[in-house]
Amino acid sequence: MKHYNLVIVGSGAAGLSAAVYAGRYKLSPLVIEGEFGGETSTAGVIENYPGIPAIEGYELMKTMRKQAEGIGAHFLEGWVQEVQQDGTCFVIKTKKDEVRASSVIFATGAKRRHLNLPNEKELTGKGVHYCWTCDGPLYGGKTVAMVGGGDSSVKGVNFLAEYASSIYLIVRGEEVSAEPVNYERMQKLGDKVKVILETEVKEIVGEKKLEKIVLSREYNGSLELSPDALFVEIGFEPDQTFVQQLGLESDPKGYVKTDSRMATNIPGIFVAGDMTNHFGGFKQDVTASALGSVAATSAYEYIKSNPGICVSHD
Amino acid sequence: MPNVTIYTTPTCVYCRSAKEFFEANNVEFQEKNVAEDEEAREEMVRKSEQMGVPVIDIDGTVVVGFDKEKVAELLGLSA
Repeated sequence: MKHYNLVIVGSGAAGLSAAVYAGRYKLSPLVIEGEFGGETSTAGVIENYPGIPAIEGYELMKTMRKQAEGIGAHFLEGWVQEVQQDGTCFVIKTKKDEVRASSVIFATGAKRRHLNLPNEKELTGKGVHYCWTCDGPLYGGKTVAMVGGGDSSVKGVNFLAEYASSIYLIVRGEEVSAEPVNYERMQKLGDKVKVILETEVKEIVGEKKLEKIVLSREYNGSLELSPDALFVEIGFEPDQTFVQQLGLESDPKGYVKTDSRMATNIPGIFVAGDMTNHFGGFKQDVTASALGSVAATSAYEYIKSNPGICVSHD
Repeated sequence: MPNVTIYTTPTCVYCRSAKEFFEANNVEFQEKNVAEDEEAREEMVRKSEQMGVPVIDIDGTVVVGFDKEKVAELLGLSA
């Protein structure tokens, strides 16, 4: 079984940043990537990553990956299914491969939250969508709705406005919570965007495709809206797979608990990115990248100060 | 060579990943931009019975989304 100083699980902003730093520490890390680029790759244009005025999320991730590869990081495609402790080593298994590592950084991010309504799954791709950068352009000249009151929803509305003729933004809370730059951009769209506050989607109705949605309270005298598409952008939940498998300590919301250096309760295991609540609800590419760099530095220090651990059996 | 058609939108990253996979494996493909080509959009909906991209048609077998493992299998490649 091949041995690595460090295995990084996940190849979004946190994982790739960790790989860049670990590469520079000469750890020759292995990055196991289930889906390249993580959430960033579908986030559309990123305009707040310092040093780069504007870049497609996918391009930013490709650049970061290239940088990591150039500094000695290795990449393996596959979804990690199991991680086990074996003495001072960790054994990481994908469907096809198995590797051993002295330390692991989990940067598996978070899973997209769904509305969990009847019909949602059945109508996914049939009017109910999650990736607005992918499927938004299919609704040129149509009426669409976006659910969610955060920055990503507003970015989504601004993106959809290039195609759709009319957009409803349905927000559960009392106000929209977005970066002022994005919010102002949305305001400039004028009547094209109708913001519906303090309202939830209660039902998704349709047989072969989305026909209508039912709201929790009336809008313009009706509980029903009939958009051609409903885009769901209501945040993410931390991935729990390895928390449960390894017994990582987590908070009530499922975020992995760490010290200020991204170390978990298990020596040799570190986490970075959206699996943690290090900066509270503020989850950005720049924060994920920062956490990745800290986790890599901690892994490096851990390996350096424990030279006897997990000696290679190759 | 298999007959490969991919239905895409210009901003869909999974479409880009799929096209990069085809290019890396020297697989010839025809791309149809369903954001602009209404006829192609109708064709995609008819084949896949849904409106999400990418849709990949390999010799008549339709794959919704970029399921690399499945696509590789249909093309006789390793993923």
